[in-house]
Amino acid sequence: MSIDREAYVEDILDHYQSPRHKGKLDPADAKAEGGNPGCGDIVTMYLRVDDGGHVTDVSFEGTGCTISQAGASMLTDMAIGKSLNEVQDMDFESFIDHMGREVVITRARCATLGLGTLKAAADLVMKQRRAAG
Amino acid sequence: MAGYAHPEMLVSTDWVAQHLNDPSVRLVESDEDVLLYEVGHVPGAVKVDWHTDLQHPVRRDFVDKAGFEKLCAERGIGNDTTVVFYGDRNNWYATYSLWLFRYYGHDESKLKVMDGGRQKWEAEGRQYTKDAPSNAAATYHAKDPDPSVRAFRDEVLAAVNSGGKNIIDVRSPAEYTGEMLHMANYPQEGAQRGGHVPTAKSIPWSQAANADGTFKSADELKALYEGKGIRPGGSTIAYCRIGERSSHTWFVLHYLLGYPDVKNYDGSWTEWGSLVNAPIEK
Repeated sequence: MSIDREAYVEDILDHYQSPRHKGKLDPADAKAEGGNPGCGDIVTMYLRVDDGGHVTDVSFEGTGCTISQAGASMLTDMAIGKSLNEVQDMDFESFIDHMGREVVITRARCATLGLGTLKAAADLVMKQRRAAG
Repeated sequence: MAGYAHPEMLVSTDWVAQHLNDPSVRLVESDEDVLLYEVGHVPGAVKVDWHTDLQHPVRRDFVDKAGFEKLCAERGIGNDTTVVFYGDRNNWYATYSLWLFRYYGHDESKLKVMDGGRQKWEAEGRQYTKDAPSNAAATYHAKDPDPSVRAFRDEVLAAVNSGGKNIIDVRSPAEYTGEMLHMANYPQEGAQRGGHVPTAKSIPWSQAANADGTFKSADELKALYEGKGIRPGGSTIAYCRIGERSSHTWFVLHYLLGYPDVKNYDGSWTEWGSLVNAPIEK
């Protein structure tokens, strides 16, 4: 295994075995569920957003493969402090590179499950706030 | 394991535990969750990743004979090694790896599956390790690929036209009907069209496994396949989307039920569903 690949694998395993921000966030401004129980990968993302539209806290719950769960954990660290627009601008391909493209590319959908779900949660908050005027 | 045609193809978790230090045995882990081995594996097991280790680097095919020999040699697998496969998801990818070893002619008497895979090993509270196995490199001489276990698209088309072979679609019912073009988490393994190979019977692969990951009994398996008209006398071709789920069915039919003529069509739906002018039923 190349040094780079080994480092990516170690990082993924670290997040899988010691997930960051795992658990329900209560209260949360939004909750979104993603994944497919039939395939075994499920992620629920929770968001807390301040009045200025910046993410102040993120958490996730989930079950599934190492890559999907590690990806969700990695994402929580990255999302805190971002504006909702910045969350929506987070790029799937860049996130795959962040996790280690060589390691996760055969499971790209698993790798980006958390990100897709987080974007759905961000979208919920944005719609709620637009509706509230 | 009573009633199976070839019960010797399965070993129990007890057997594996007793042979962890047997130099003539090599455990091979192949998983659908590609990093599960690194999370922890049966002591002494080597990893065979179907995606990175068994694929030809350029064209859609398996690693060639020289590549297979190198793979075995690096993992301390010799021609006389008893290779025991196990993994997650009811030994789904484990049977795919075993199928490839069979394809390259490894002595069938030295190919086994640990019944129940990781699930049973964990349920019994047995330990994993993260330690890399220490094994000396071996020398391996593969045989030429054995066509008796592998079907290609022209044989499948001939079977459709003649009606002379059993064809089993082992995918989910939604994939069989064409409602889904691919499993939810595998968009890169879809096809242009949905449906199934004409005349194929729908027998999802997971129906051959118990909830604990072990294979169902011989009587249950006979009822499952003969109940859908798949009888041992004829030729049978199994397929899914890339041939991995169908290798599980191939293993069940060929070794557990003793059907003599069973092939895995690894091109499967990713090929057939995108093949110009290939007939499709919904």
